[in-house]
Amino acid sequence: MKKTSWKIVLPAMMALLLLLQVGCGSGSGNSNNQANQSGSSGAQSTNGGSKEKIKLQFWDMHTEAEQKYFEDLVKEYNAAQDRVQIEYSTYNQADYTATKLPIAFSGGNGPDIYMISPGDFMKFSNSGYLADLAPYFPEGVKEDFLPSALDAVTVDGQIQALPYEMELMGLYYNEDMLKAANVEVPKTWDELLDAARKLTTDKVAGLVLPPDKGAYFNFNFYPFLWQAGGQVLAEDGKTSAFNSPETAKALDFWGTFFQEKLSPAKLQYGPWEIDNLGKQTAAMQICGTWAVSRIEEVFGDVPIKLAPLPIPEGGKPVTTAGGWKFAVNAKSKNLEEAAKFVMWAFADQDTSRPLKWATETKFAYPARQSVIDAGQEIYNKGLRQVFTNEIYSSAIPEPVYNPAVVEAIGDAMTRVMFGDMTGEEAAKAADAKINEAMK
Amino acid sequence: MSRVPPGGLPEEGKPVVLKKLRTRAMQERITAYCFLLPDLIGLFIFVFLPIIYAFYVSLHDWDALNPMKFIGLDNYVALSKDMDWWHSVGKTLQFSVIYVPLLFCLSLGSALLLNGLRGKVVSPARTMFLMPYAITSVISAIIGMYMLDPRNGIINEIIRFFGGSSQQFLGSPSQAIYSIIAVLLWINIGYNMIIFLSAIKEIPRDYFEAARIDGASRWQTFRKITFPLLKETNTFILVVTTIGSFQVFDQIMVMTKGGPASSTEVSVIYIFKQGFQLLNMGYSSALAFVLFLLIFCLSLVQMKLFSTKD
Amino acid sequence: MRTVRFNAQTMLAVIAVILGLLMIFPIYLLLISSMRSEANVLEVTWFPVEFVWQNFKEVVVSTNMMRSIGNSLFVSITVTIVAMIFHSMYGYALARLHFPGRNLIFSWTLSTLMVPFAVITIPLYLITKNFGMLNSYAGLIVPSIFNAYGIFLFRQFYRDFPKELEEAAYIEGLSIAGTFFRIALPLSRSIIIPLTIGFFVANWNSYLWPLIITQSESLWVVQQQLANLVGGGYYTPWNVVLAAAVIAAIPTLILFFAAQRYLVEGIKMTGIK
Repeated sequence: MKKTSWKIVLPAMMALLLLLQVGCGSGSGNSNNQANQSGSSGAQSTNGGSKEKIKLQFWDMHTEAEQKYFEDLVKEYNAAQDRVQIEYSTYNQADYTATKLPIAFSGGNGPDIYMISPGDFMKFSNSGYLADLAPYFPEGVKEDFLPSALDAVTVDGQIQALPYEMELMGLYYNEDMLKAANVEVPKTWDELLDAARKLTTDKVAGLVLPPDKGAYFNFNFYPFLWQAGGQVLAEDGKTSAFNSPETAKALDFWGTFFQEKLSPAKLQYGPWEIDNLGKQTAAMQICGTWAVSRIEEVFGDVPIKLAPLPIPEGGKPVTTAGGWKFAVNAKSKNLEEAAKFVMWAFADQDTSRPLKWATETKFAYPARQSVIDAGQEIYNKGLRQVFTNEIYSSAIPEPVYNPAVVEAIGDAMTRVMFGDMTGEEAAKAADAKINEAMK
Repeated sequence: MSRVPPGGLPEEGKPVVLKKLRTRAMQERITAYCFLLPDLIGLFIFVFLPIIYAFYVSLHDWDALNPMKFIGLDNYVALSKDMDWWHSVGKTLQFSVIYVPLLFCLSLGSALLLNGLRGKVVSPARTMFLMPYAITSVISAIIGMYMLDPRNGIINEIIRFFGGSSQQFLGSPSQAIYSIIAVLLWINIGYNMIIFLSAIKEIPRDYFEAARIDGASRWQTFRKITFPLLKETNTFILVVTTIGSFQVFDQIMVMTKGGPASSTEVSVIYIFKQGFQLLNMGYSSALAFVLFLLIFCLSLVQMKLFSTKD
Repeated sequence: MRTVRFNAQTMLAVIAVILGLLMIFPIYLLLISSMRSEANVLEVTWFPVEFVWQNFKEVVVSTNMMRSIGNSLFVSITVTIVAMIFHSMYGYALARLHFPGRNLIFSWTLSTLMVPFAVITIPLYLITKNFGMLNSYAGLIVPSIFNAYGIFLFRQFYRDFPKELEEAAYIEGLSIAGTFFRIALPLSRSIIIPLTIGFFVANWNSYLWPLIITQSESLWVVQQQLANLVGGGYYTPWNVVLAAAVIAAIPTLILFFAAQRYLVEGIKMTGIK
């Protein structure tokens, strides 16, 4: 009878499965075992045994080489002292801030140490999950940090996160494509638009801009806004200054690229991935410092060049400086130990760790003058020198806004992109929402 | 519905049988409750309790990170004026109204087609129709994005071959929702087809024989025999796919995240965004509760309209 | 007369095959594209022109995909088996047994079907946490079992179940539970098989819930691993993503091919009306 065959098949499948589980657990090496350990030990952090070490959870969103950097950092720290044991876990970036962190915090399971992006900074600041790190800086190191970088994370006089990198934006372009279309490297907005029109074909996008709402979307728009002379908030930081002709101009300019289909509304590579240029599916792309290493490693034979962001007639050159920050959970039971680790990592007298991060692991600008000086040689290599000599001085750290403000700006941008509103109408509509959110 | 034990009433009501019947009824009750118990507890804890809790949360101002603050029905007042919310409800309805009938007709059509087949072709044809169901949510989204890309997608390649111009699909506010519907139809037709197919096979052969002898056409047979006899299955598929269509989340999240320009921002996505991106947990719970009521009423209406009275 | 019938059949067969090919075309496309090199993966591909097995090797070696597949298999199979047992009992009780509160329980059960999952995540998370099931297989499995969809289908099925069989069991002196386990359940293949597939696939699909309650990567399930590849870092290796998608689709595809035969047989067996 057929009935019996199921009875045999199911236990057989289960057995196979167990074998598979065991096989994978032992076979797939280091990272797996480590994850295993942190999983089981995290659940019972209180009864650690005779030698009571403080266990700290450190959550992250980095991958690959960067993940490795932090893994090694944690290993080094765990070996260097015997008070604390840091447990490191990393998550998919898309889910990390949107799902993992809020849910864990709401359940009282939040990490002690975590990474935070400027786009989500205020969300956690408002709720009191960002500890003031000011008291923990070693002697003299605070002064070494770039004042603007610290300003961007200072709320009510508290330094609520540690900036450890500044990622600048520039205009990357394919030199051959520009030459073939007889286009000069654009320096002004008009030239950028003109170039995009000439470079766009069925297969090649003229200019890659981020099409989807989110923190990165706004991050890319701020330079346009500032170059035009627009502002999100007024000087007092409490009311909206979004409703202005300058904002409208920036919104309209941004929107034109999508309305004329010069910038694709759907990308196969993320807008932050230089692969759009590397795979020759785009002629120009606004992208950050992080792209440099990938160009050197993978796209050496593609003629990718770099220029400062174009500016409007009579505007001033501005770029945004982004980058994740190191944060300590203000509600952590071991706040001080957590802060000590963060300081050890990036605010120590010894600058080797931040230097390694910003030069070897990835390419970014450290937020500390002494580290920049120490790495001078590297900062003048290849495409990096464009950032160092032509872009760096115009950088403004990405501001931190309430999530509702971020949403309102993103909304205004999409409304204009898809032709629902003019820049003027959208600026006005967003202005009301921002004021509402700031109450 | 008369209360007849599964064994059926014995023909004569002798006292001995009656006593036996009574113990049988007791046994039946006890068995019934034992059978119900595991799922009853599970459903209560893992489904029902969370809804109640969500309703409780909806009466509060809560950012998930700090203690809740009771604000009564304020969230419900706010949502009644929230144009973005009603936009998302409109999008949800638009999605359902297109998706559900299409899925229903295409599944039933495929089932009839396969039912009409004879011989060697039956098995491979059924396999081909079913296979997309094995392609799960994120994978289907990946394939969708890959095929529908404005520049490198194969669909646009075909359109260009026939002289058309490239379409934006997922990047276009007017086309994105149809693109998502297409992907969902693709993976879901097979399974519903199988349910229809099983139901059609359950219909006794003699009915069709009789129809054939009476000289009924294929269409007449379908209208007068097959379709009415599928009533239970029809209701089931309609209700379940309608409910399902209100809850589509994974594919939208991977393919468009509600964009472009909110054109695929259905209610579930909006609720998720309010809850997790803006951390308005209280408000998000109120929205969730309204959506729940909406689905509830709609399903009741559907069941009243389509179900048989017995 | 015979030729006309033959022609109609041929037409139907041709239509079915064409539509069928259309249905599997995206899968074919996925398969051939997964074997392209990273440089060419986005080019439109109609025929298998490259065979870069390296893509698959990379999935196995450089990601924890195999571990995640193991996790997903374990979770999906456990959930499916337990759910089949619980739901068939529940559905049978609702359809065939008489007890006070039957309609009430049925309506209540049905109403739980209408709760969108994304909506109850936070409360569910808190409840699961209270049971100490965070970051564990139990947390992945237990809350996924309870689902009114399966119950509803079982109930529909048992309502049409032939009475004669139960009567025979009654006469033979079987208890009600015995009737269910010995007579009704073994004859329920035509509902159990599609539902088994449905449950397995649904659990293979789950993404949001595992994302919320797992912490260590050793517990990640397939969809998490896939989504991580698409949106994880500074670049999307499409060739690896597609290869991973192929690997992730294999278990469900195998299940389909294995269950196909039973699908038809099961249907034949209950045709005793």
